Amino acid sequence: MLELKNVKKAFVQPDGTKTPILDLAEYALATGEQAVLIGPSGCGKTTLLHIIAGITRPTSGSVKIDGVEITRFSEATRDRLRANKLGYVFQTFNLLPAFSALENVMLGMAFSSGRASSARARDLLQRVGLGHRLSSRPKTMSVGEQQRVAVARALANRPKVLLADEPTANVDPANQQAVIDLIRENCRQEGVALLLVTHAMNVADQFERVDRLDEINRVVAAARGVA
Amino acid sequence: MSLWKIAWRSIQHRGLGSLLTVISMALGVMMVVSVLSINGLVSRSFKSNSSFGYDLIVGARGGGTQLTLSSVFFLGRAVETIPYEYYLAFCDKQTRSEEFRNSIAYRANIEQLRALEALDSVSVAPGGGGWGAIAEGLAGDFLIRHQNDFMQLDERGLFSNYVNFAIPILLGDTYQIENSEAYFKVCATNRDYFDKLTLGQGKKFELASGRFFDNEDAEAGYFGCVMGSLAAKMSGKKVGDQIKVTHGIPGEGGSHLHDQLFTVLGILEPTGTPNDRVVFVNMEGFYLINDHVKPVVESSGINLRRDRDEARALAKEDVKPDSDLTDEELSTVRLPVEQRELTALLVSVFDEEGYGLAAQYLQQPIEQGNLSSTLNWSRFRPLQAQTSAQCVNPVQEVMRLFVYFVEPAKWILLALTTLICVVSGLSILVGIYNSMNQRQHEIAVMRALGARRSHVMMIMLTEAVMLAMAGGMLGWLGGRTLNVALSPIVERQTGVPVSFWDFAPAEPVFAVLSPVLGSSDFAAKIVKFQMSPELLLIPGLIILAVLVGVYPAISAYRTDVAKSLGK
Repeated sequence: MLELKNVKKAFVQPDGTKTPILDLAEYALATGEQAVLIGPSGCGKTTLLHIIAGITRPTSGSVKIDGVEITRFSEATRDRLRANKLGYVFQTFNLLPAFSALENVMLGMAFSSGRASSARARDLLQRVGLGHRLSSRPKTMSVGEQQRVAVARALANRPKVLLADEPTANVDPANQQAVIDLIRENCRQEGVALLLVTHAMNVADQFERVDRLDEINRVVAAARGVA
Repeated sequence: MSLWKIAWRSIQHRGLGSLLTVISMALGVMMVVSVLSINGLVSRSFKSNSSFGYDLIVGARGGGTQLTLSSVFFLGRAVETIPYEYYLAFCDKQTRSEEFRNSIAYRANIEQLRALEALDSVSVAPGGGGWGAIAEGLAGDFLIRHQNDFMQLDERGLFSNYVNFAIPILLGDTYQIENSEAYFKVCATNRDYFDKLTLGQGKKFELASGRFFDNEDAEAGYFGCVMGSLAAKMSGKKVGDQIKVTHGIPGEGGSHLHDQLFTVLGILEPTGTPNDRVVFVNMEGFYLINDHVKPVVESSGINLRRDRDEARALAKEDVKPDSDLTDEELSTVRLPVEQRELTALLVSVFDEEGYGLAAQYLQQPIEQGNLSSTLNWSRFRPLQAQTSAQCVNPVQEVMRLFVYFVEPAKWILLALTTLICVVSGLSILVGIYNSMNQRQHEIAVMRALGARRSHVMMIMLTEAVMLAMAGGMLGWLGGRTLNVALSPIVERQTGVPVSFWDFAPAEPVFAVLSPVLGSSDFAAKIVKFQMSPELLLIPGLIILAVLVGVYPAISAYRTDVAKSLGK
């Protein structure tokens, strides 16, 4: 479902020098597979997610989603692909404050090729336990509720891959497990491959597959070796 | 979820800011709508009123525009007066003859002839004064006997063959509503005003109630009047009521209420013209108001007739020498020609060849003072009587007024109000731009959810368009409401009522583009195409919104998703 080969990313500094931050030989995720990616701050976790999501183009390498090579696509095509095949759960939820819970979920379908379905959004919110808060605005909801809306939104467009960037970082400990369970359960139900980035080892320990980015990212690994 | 809904939610989210932006835009649009429609309607009324069916206005020398404004639109102060004989110069033989037989000169001659006849019956004593005195007496007799020939009593008016009609009007008095400061202009005229004038496109005066006055009215004598619809409505007067008119403008120096009562005989249907705010009184009654009778002097300088009572005294002897007249009978005594004056004559030219030539033919001799020669028939004249006249073409005057005053004023007002709209448009830009910091994060989130750059750009533009449209709609409704609120004032000033649904009249709105469009047939069609400028407001606002929305839209387009997501 997800296949990365020789993906490299370097940022150009103001003085023109290039600072490599990611060098990944190979990384893959099968359909419905759930993996967790851990690593210290600055090891390139968010950059990797952005590359997979097509938000950032890699300096070189190949990224295939559902067998489609996305790095050669134009930005607009990558946007369309993201709208149709990817779901994204942010660390800070990123719900739009002007929209109700239902509308935030429908926003997840607004830019995809399929028609935004209110029924689908309601169904997802029912599944995350927020059937009674369809018209609530984010600011009237608890942090846990907000993250549940964010999960429903990420799944709204029936993605092939769900990217979750530290989804429990801003959630209180009591709700962390509930959020993880929610994401994993729903991905399982929908057959969605899950790549979850986290710092929390107690979260990582629940996954069968745990990848350490500081080990597979050759830039960080090399730096460590030097050190 | 459509882009419209996303934009609408964004507007809702910034409730107060959006509301203020909409109000700002609405105020601008409201003023544009009001200026366009009121100006358009009043302009149309001005133009249609200048096609009443008469071609020339004859009045005292002075500003042609002032004469036109006061005579056609009843605006401003009335100009000086001209002698009544100018009217007679346009009359047929019968009217002219009757009028001259009602002159002081004619009556004086009759008196002298009677005296001569009495002398003829007495033989002249021989040697009484010698042959010189006899010759002098005979020469005097001859002059007196032929005085009436000199008056050309039974000739038609100098210009009577060239005109369809000439209607005299007298202005200067007003009718003030009791216990109110509101007043209306009084126009003294004769029955021809209602029978012969048209209200543009051949429409005639119609009565809502009552009837028009007759020149010699069996019921009201000379003291009947007809009220314009607005004057009647505002004063609450009905047929049968009596009114008094004020000399001059109420509250100004020299103004005072006349004692004479006029009976309301009829109330006009609304005409949408300045006639609605006028009280029309019978000219004969107007003349008989004491202050309006000017003393006349004989060419020898002897003050012959001082006021109405003396004039009546003469008439009394003339009409009923051996009996006393009652007040009612006195009110049917017409003022002699020499004491009559006019503010203006509305002249319809008989023009078989087509409009223009005959009017020009008449205009020239009047302007050159040919009519002054018609004043020499009588040796009695009011003191300091104006003897020269001017002749103006009201259509030309109105067009001149438009070109030099109304149109520039309209454009200045439009420029100002458009500027307000542009400033309001900029407030949309400022409103959106100020929220860009917060928006960039929202845009990044939408982009992460799959929105393309074109999507977020369109959302920004849609938001600007929606704000402008909301302001436009609100402003349009506000402008219409303002028109209704201003209607009484506009109607009082111009005679044009403005209703909620009165759109700005159609005009060639694209004419200003003619230098750019070139001279092709298609360009000519566009230039000639007429539509209400109000219909351009909506597309204009959309263009304005797109222009002011472009910058935030480009800013949204350029948003760095990766960076903004981390904010």
